[in-house]
Amino acid sequence: MPVKCGLCEKKAILKRPKTGDALCKDCFFWAFEEEVHKTIIDANLFSPGEVVAIGASGGKDSTVLAYTLKTLNERYDYKLDLILLSVDEGITGYRDDSLETVKRNQQQYELPLKIISYKELYGWTMDDIVKQVGLKNNCTFCGVFRRQALDRGAMLLKVDKIVTGHNADDIAETVIMNILRGDIARLKRCTAITTGADGALPRCKPFKYTYEKEIVMYAYFKKLDYFSTECIYSPNAYRGHARTYIKDLEAIRPSSIIDIIHSGECMAVKKEVKLPVQGTCSRCGYISSQEVCKACVLLEGLNKGLPKLGIGKPHKVKKLEAQGKIFTDTKNPKFVENRDADKGSMANNAAALDF
Amino acid sequence: MCSVQDGEDVIPERKKTGKFTEGERRPCMKCGESAAVIIRVNDAFCRGCFLTYCTHKFRSAFGKSKLIRDGEKVLVAFSGGQSSTALLHLIQEGLSERAQKKLRFIPSFVFIDEGAVLNQTQEERSETCQQVAALLQQSGFPWNIISLEKIMQESNSLEKFELSEQFESLHVSEKDQEELKSLWNSVKTLSAKEEMIRTLRSRLLVSIATAGGYSKVLVGDTGTKLSIRLLSDVAQGRGMHLPFETGFADCRHPEMKIVRPVRDFTAKEVAMYNAFHNLQPLVLPALTTKAASNASIERLTETFVTGLQADFPSTVSTIFRTGEKLSVEDMDSEVDRCQFCQAPLDTNVPASSALNATLFSQSLSQKSSTSTIGGASNCDKTDSCCGEGDGSCQTQKDFRLTKEDLADVLCYGCRLVIKDMNSVDDLLPANVLQSAAAAVRRKKMKDEIQDFLLPS
Repeated sequence: MPVKCGLCEKKAILKRPKTGDALCKDCFFWAFEEEVHKTIIDANLFSPGEVVAIGASGGKDSTVLAYTLKTLNERYDYKLDLILLSVDEGITGYRDDSLETVKRNQQQYELPLKIISYKELYGWTMDDIVKQVGLKNNCTFCGVFRRQALDRGAMLLKVDKIVTGHNADDIAETVIMNILRGDIARLKRCTAITTGADGALPRCKPFKYTYEKEIVMYAYFKKLDYFSTECIYSPNAYRGHARTYIKDLEAIRPSSIIDIIHSGECMAVKKEVKLPVQGTCSRCGYISSQEVCKACVLLEGLNKGLPKLGIGKPHKVKKLEAQGKIFTDTKNPKFVENRDADKGSMANNAAALDF
Repeated sequence: MCSVQDGEDVIPERKKTGKFTEGERRPCMKCGESAAVIIRVNDAFCRGCFLTYCTHKFRSAFGKSKLIRDGEKVLVAFSGGQSSTALLHLIQEGLSERAQKKLRFIPSFVFIDEGAVLNQTQEERSETCQQVAALLQQSGFPWNIISLEKIMQESNSLEKFELSEQFESLHVSEKDQEELKSLWNSVKTLSAKEEMIRTLRSRLLVSIATAGGYSKVLVGDTGTKLSIRLLSDVAQGRGMHLPFETGFADCRHPEMKIVRPVRDFTAKEVAMYNAFHNLQPLVLPALTTKAASNASIERLTETFVTGLQADFPSTVSTIFRTGEKLSVEDMDSEVDRCQFCQAPLDTNVPASSALNATLFSQSLSQKSSTSTIGGASNCDKTDSCCGEGDGSCQTQKDFRLTKEDLADVLCYGCRLVIKDMNSVDDLLPANVLQSAAAAVRRKKMKDEIQDFLLPS
């Protein structure tokens, strides 16, 4: 006998990974969208009239996020201006293909699209960087550069907020990673639904409580077009361990993912533990807990032919700086230009937020 | 999408091969004698220096915390395994006349026989107890053996805890045995079973210690075990309680502290200590002995952590140190506690939270409970009345706790445990149900007067 949908009389076609309930296609779409809507409302993610950039990689999470936000924006009249924002890391055979997907999404969802590239921001593509540093620490470069790139792109577009497609699995994985790495500062803030409210552009994660499996399910049944190839440089072994652990936990007890997020939300850091103070980078003005931000250090290393700079201990950077070997010249002129231009727009942005 | 976060150093330091090649004899880093054990990467110790290092570590744990006063009676939980054996020996050494910086507390030992939940026969249980009794008798300290079934008795019947001289047989009433069995059988998953036995064991230890007039319980958890517990607790929604579950002293009970004096030891150090002293720990089966690595959350976490530890030798200590930096906020005596594990409740959360998101998901995809959308409280059914129909009598003929009622007075982690139970009716130990029922009534009273309470 076919299983009936728990909500209507139709035939159920799926079992929700999150709750285990059998639902039909339409009821699943409805539940999925309602949950994202509730997350947005409960956490006060948006205010009417805001311009919101969707970090779009062409992957499943950001594709479904763009689609869902557009749908909810129309259905519940959030009055948001949505823009797709993509970062082109310059990875041949991976990003160029996924950007094609983003361009198709742009047409399908009729949203404006801005692509910002590592090449124009930093003067280096990931392909070039990998040639310099090899395949060992390349993901560090990419991770650091991407965050700034997204912010800079967003500032150019004068948006109020950035949303990213991080889902519940990603956040649970980050909680576990931060415990394994002993990074108490990140552990404290990684479960926040909105980050960077102080100074930097706020970023939020409307899919914080959405299971990855349900995102795939949604995309599958909605027949959404997304790009699902692993980055050719990636397989990050260590994070991979954490990922496998999360998947294994989910298989034992499906609520594990949300249970981990609950754990993260309820942790309290001892008052006497010193947390890094967020300041701004003395070279580019971007938020940083060090005097010079990681992106500047990494970039300097690349430009000086010292690709290990910024990978090891911070005191080595200080030592080299004291010896006058780094941070001496007028860096990559293009980079400076861009950064100065951005500083202006950052100020504009602050003013715009003040009204 | 690539999940690398900004600023994340992607790969931690991998195991280094060190300065020495395999097979080469290393000198002890302290005295230069030929080394007998490598504690980590390049730290080689000879036998004598290693044992000094262990005793020093053990004594300084007490010294630093200043938790146990001179002449204080403490109860030591002894399981017979590696770390219990080392703990017993370290205490013995520390109390002996020749010890420098002598320990000054007065220990008694207790073994909790958990044969009932391991499906052991009466004979097997007796045999284990005999072995343990022999070990404890040899130590010369006062001791006793208590079976886990005792937890099913109402609290007041465990009014005395006496020390015994020799082991005759286990005193287990058939009623308790039956009750524990049906409680055990109603728990459907191994993960929940492990949590259940942990909470029962710790409740029993506390009530034994209270009955015997002790104010501290010492347990033999090693750093390795606590790191695994930390991660598996996170995976089971107990993030808020980590300082209790893994700290030096578990202070969740107002009157009783659970102290972990060997938590600075790794499992390997404990095993080496026992080997050097020719101590023979008992090999007793546990719930997940011989089970697959994905049999339960704790078992999976154990496999995960020990696997990482082999490649990245700093794994255990890093996890451990992360835990050190956490605390429990607002711990005054007024705080509402979980009626099962006694830790402060972690369920009073803002609208935007994992707990409420889950409740919302459940309410959305099930037709029946659509009225409970939002809000953490999902028990608003009307009390059954005597039958007058107008609700005037305000009485309930038979106060039975439903699963939902019970969940309301439990912490997130314990809710997960009872969620994996077929039913809670009369199954949990009587004293748990009684205090839970009282808490439910108080909560209902509070709800009634809620509008008139001023925020503190």
